[in-house]
Amino acid sequence: MSAAGIGARRRRRAGLTVLLGLIALATVVPVLYVVSLSLRSRDDVLNGGLLPSRVFWRNWPDAFGAIDLGRYMANSWTVAAGSVVLTLLIAVPGAYFTARAGRSGGRLAALVLSSYSAPPVVAILPLFFLLRNLQLNNTVAGLALVDGLANVPVAIWLLDGFVRRVPREIEEAAWLDGLGAWAGLRRIVLPLIAPGVAAAALICFFLSYNEFLFALSFAQDSTAQTLPVALSLFQGDKNVEFGQQAVVSLVGIAPVYVLAVAAQRWLVAGLSSGAVK
Amino acid sequence: MSRASHVPRFRVPRALAAPSVVFLLVFAAYPLVYLIGLAFTSSTLAQPLRRWTGFDNFHSALESQSFSGSLWRSVVFAVAAACVQLVLGTALALLLRARAARPGLLGTVLLLPLVTPPVMVGVAWKLLLAPVGGALNGALHEFGLPGVNPLGGSTGAFVTLIVIDSWQWTPFVMLLAYAALLGVPDELREAAALDGAGRVRTLRSVVLPYIEPTLLSVLTLKLVIGFKVFDIVYVVTAGGPGFSTTTSTYDIQRTALQEFDVGSAAAATVLFSLIIGLVVSVVALRRKRHEEVAV
Repeated sequence: MSAAGIGARRRRRAGLTVLLGLIALATVVPVLYVVSLSLRSRDDVLNGGLLPSRVFWRNWPDAFGAIDLGRYMANSWTVAAGSVVLTLLIAVPGAYFTARAGRSGGRLAALVLSSYSAPPVVAILPLFFLLRNLQLNNTVAGLALVDGLANVPVAIWLLDGFVRRVPREIEEAAWLDGLGAWAGLRRIVLPLIAPGVAAAALICFFLSYNEFLFALSFAQDSTAQTLPVALSLFQGDKNVEFGQQAVVSLVGIAPVYVLAVAAQRWLVAGLSSGAVK
Repeated sequence: MSRASHVPRFRVPRALAAPSVVFLLVFAAYPLVYLIGLAFTSSTLAQPLRRWTGFDNFHSALESQSFSGSLWRSVVFAVAAACVQLVLGTALALLLRARAARPGLLGTVLLLPLVTPPVMVGVAWKLLLAPVGGALNGALHEFGLPGVNPLGGSTGAFVTLIVIDSWQWTPFVMLLAYAALLGVPDELREAAALDGAGRVRTLRSVVLPYIEPTLLSVLTLKLVIGFKVFDIVYVVTAGGPGFSTTTSTYDIQRTALQEFDVGSAAAATVLFSLIIGLVVSVVALRRKRHEEVAV
């Protein structure tokens, strides 16, 4: 390629980088504003402006004093982690079946995915009564159970793509060597789809951690309420405490952002595997 | 099949499907049957399924001013949000792909809205748009412009919810469209360029048709997700002003667990599910027809 062509291409790339950089900046404005709010006193907020005129740290201890933030954080993390374990226990064998069991696999996939198109509000009343009969209403375990089940279709959808990309020949070779189907799944397929399992775990973690409808409906007090519920109740107060609301929001947002940036590769690979089969 | 004839043919053990079948029974079959039971009986949260009431619950659901309107609003919301996000997300994916074959740090930053807890999204936007002390009016004030209150009027509030939802979900479309764009073979672009097709022409007649199946899947998925909207309605507008942003999920949750009108909420859920099935199957049918033509 000519030198002029390379120069033009570089300029175009630089232009695109600037444009996308500006879009990315605009994208994070709402969150940056929350960061700014968390560092401003009430009067400073009401005076307008985007940045703190003077950094005001008191919102942080005040927010932790106003509600039991540690408790809500622990609930959120326990529910999310517990639900991921349940989801994977169901979805890993399930995805192997949908990808490998021919026509019955296809039927299972169709059923599982169609269950996802029903809105979760369908399940609210039946699950409310089910949890109460199991004496799991208003418990962290009950929420983990519900979220874990709710995420199964997503996990199967993601994992199915990863299983399909494992060459059948490898499994067949293992079977020739006398390995049973179960051992083949555990010793051959599982290590090969490990990145997919990690991606599915990560995405399901986010889904449970962010979940609100079930958490609001099934957790009546702080024994089981999660951060989103805490924040939604917190902002219901008449006096708008901008700074403290901002602190509670950030306590919820920060861990997922750290996780998303740290595990970026898996997140992207996981989400795109579903789209491109 | 013939290739594998000398390989011991294992049937995939059916037991592997067992956990998924249990999932379907607990999370799909049981709720559906129970819900229909609730819809045709009179129930309270303390005592479900007390006695058969026929279609009474359906009458009361449809007569409720908030619910019948909410069906229409949910459809408009889901369709509008899905279309806006499909266009914006595809455009962003094209820009990102034109820049490089890896999304890089920029890609990660653009993805952040997707992982932000929706309740936090709602609160952030509510603070941003607050008439007094919000960043939007603060900025308008700096430029000597009068303040606005987008959440004060019916249309404004509805549009604002679509904007907020699009902030959250456009990255989802972007990521999936980007992944599909990576699959467009270079030869195809080059052949189009050799044939004298310009950039726009290549995009329209080569690239977009290539990723169209993905885009249609994403559209279907986004419609389904759009019907589930609850969090931002609850946090940002609480369904108001009036009922102008009361979507069905919001209305049903409130009827069931705040007003404790179990029967009517169950009947409303049945009707809502039928509407969703209708809208989603229209898109799915179109997708199927499209695939048949393509084959």
